[in-house]
Amino acid sequence: MSDKHLASQFDDDLNNISSKLMEMGGLVEMQVKLANQALKSFSLDQLQDIFDAEEKVDLLEVEIDSELAAIIVRRQPAARDLRLLLAISKITTNLERTGDESHKIAKRIRSIVELGEARKIALGDLHAIFDMSASLIHRALDAFARLDVIAAANIYKEDDLIDREFKGFTRKLITYMAEDPHTISSSLDLLFIAKAVERIGDHAKNIAEFIIYIVKGTDVRHSSLTHIESVVQ
Amino acid sequence: MPEDLPPLFSRIIKSLPVIKHPLLLMVGGVALAAWGGFAIFDLRSWLGLSLLLGGWLGNRWYARALADWLDRARDKPDALPPRLDDTRRETAERVQRLIRKQRREIEKIEADLHNLRSALQASPNGVVILNEQQCIEWCNRTACEHFGLDSNRDILQRLTNLLRAPMLVKSLEERNFSEAVILESPLSKASHPLCLEARFFPYGQGRLLMLSRDITAIEQAEAMRRDFVANVSHEICTPLTVLAGFIETLQHLSVSEGERQDYLVRMASQAARMASLVDDLLMLSRLEGGEPPDAKQWTDAQNLFMRIEADANALSAHMAGQNAPGHNLVFTGMDTAVEIAGAAKELQSAFFNLVNNAIRYTPPGGDVIVSWLVKPDGSADFSVRDNGPGIAPEHVLRLTERFYRVDSDRSRASGGTGLGLSIVKHILKRHEATLAIASVPGQGASFTASFPAHRIRLAEAEEVAYNNHL
Repeated sequence: MSDKHLASQFDDDLNNISSKLMEMGGLVEMQVKLANQALKSFSLDQLQDIFDAEEKVDLLEVEIDSELAAIIVRRQPAARDLRLLLAISKITTNLERTGDESHKIAKRIRSIVELGEARKIALGDLHAIFDMSASLIHRALDAFARLDVIAAANIYKEDDLIDREFKGFTRKLITYMAEDPHTISSSLDLLFIAKAVERIGDHAKNIAEFIIYIVKGTDVRHSSLTHIESVVQ
Repeated sequence: MPEDLPPLFSRIIKSLPVIKHPLLLMVGGVALAAWGGFAIFDLRSWLGLSLLLGGWLGNRWYARALADWLDRARDKPDALPPRLDDTRRETAERVQRLIRKQRREIEKIEADLHNLRSALQASPNGVVILNEQQCIEWCNRTACEHFGLDSNRDILQRLTNLLRAPMLVKSLEERNFSEAVILESPLSKASHPLCLEARFFPYGQGRLLMLSRDITAIEQAEAMRRDFVANVSHEICTPLTVLAGFIETLQHLSVSEGERQDYLVRMASQAARMASLVDDLLMLSRLEGGEPPDAKQWTDAQNLFMRIEADANALSAHMAGQNAPGHNLVFTGMDTAVEIAGAAKELQSAFFNLVNNAIRYTPPGGDVIVSWLVKPDGSADFSVRDNGPGIAPEHVLRLTERFYRVDSDRSRASGGTGLGLSIVKHILKRHEATLAIASVPGQGASFTASFPAHRIRLAEAEEVAYNNHL
């Protein structure tokens, strides 16, 4: 966001709304991190923080959207500025959903801890997937701040890896359930958690797509990796 | 250049290459005026006009040359100004001096700035300078390592766009800098945790200096302290509960004399357990806080080992009970006449702790081999090997931590306080020795204390004879 406009007030508006988006991103990132820690330790201590952050994230989403409308009406932006504002609008939606996914995970963790059966299931794979998606969200937000399309393309690539790992973990859960029916209810909870984690990765990927859209002006949604790489080059 | 030409003429010829352009312009101007003006003016006014035009053009060229030279002066302050008449030359040289002076000043300021930044680079803390909009203006390498910043790319990036930890954002938004913000670094990994403390110092008009410091070790120490207090309380609480239970029973219930004796015996054993725990704790704190033992004080190893051997046999017999066979205790190399530099009491405590562990954790009938080996280079190893259950690799590294138990029920049942190996580690450290633990689960474990050569010496013959004589 270094390109200067004649109207520096407009620059301030854009910077402020970007910062607000990043603030929202910070909250969502914290939610994801706390959910990840809670899953690793199976402790309920910090789940309340996830629920509390949820309210702030929702407030910020509404606030950012109304500010976006105000900027568009007042400044009538074009080209890159318009793309930036459109992308911010979409990214807020993605971030808000990421927050929702963490919220879901927190609720499932609570139910698992109350049931107490999940300790029989090896969760190393799930932890690895969770670490990856948490890092993707973090890097997607970094890439937005720096408008770094190369980093965005890498995120796109890594999301495929998460999807593959998710499938592997699902298969593993099936074998657990087939072996010991007592694990079914925890396995279902874990399945929902894994799905939510996988969705977090997808949201990171969406954010990466909007970064490419802002910088290059090409909509790369639903296109192949080779296309994205050729756009980014 | 011909020497005999008159000075004025030679000057003109010398300056020909330089004044070529104005000369050409002058001639061109004259020709132009001649062509256009001939028809209108008479010869005299025609000549005057031509000279005027030529002079004007020449003057313009001078001005342009001077401007070009000034443009270049920024990069090449030593380039000579173009050849001009004296007045203008003087002006040009003054300008040149001014530029040189300015340039020297800039160089000095740049050098100062460079020095200042090098000093900030050398700081062990992360340093980030933020402008009025809280954008990063400069950051040092440590800050880059702490926060994953890029000192080129992230300049003029808003800090909170990259450091999005809600606590930090809140502190910056409210401009409340009274307290430090503790945050986990974005680069922190489970294998390499990185916990940071960031402080903001406002200065100038709305500008900020952010200092960050790595507090991972402090946080870990704090966590260890908490664990330690919790462990000690737990260890003391268990026998205390048992004691309190018996006391209550004796107070409120009438019990037979036989039961009363039984209770008292059990109470005594719990009290002894608490006492041994307190002893161990005191010993640890003495070992940690105290001065290292005098390196000039030599302890006779033979004597030491004799006592350990006797204690070990007694312990093994006690463990096995009346009729069962004890452990196969093998002592080798115990008769080497050497001396170890250090405190006899501490060394005995360390060695016996190792032997004690081996006997307690190896079932009766198992082998415990205690050996003392002075190596050719003068260093020596005291090692205890058993063929007990062994220790799984994930526990080996943490064995010397206080209250670390591989299997809490069993070790407490065997009467351990959970501090033995910490004590061994500390004693050996004070004697410049190291403890090596090797184990294959299911096949046994070996603990080896290695002493450096300068801590070992052969016992002097007369002294040994004298001791034997006594």
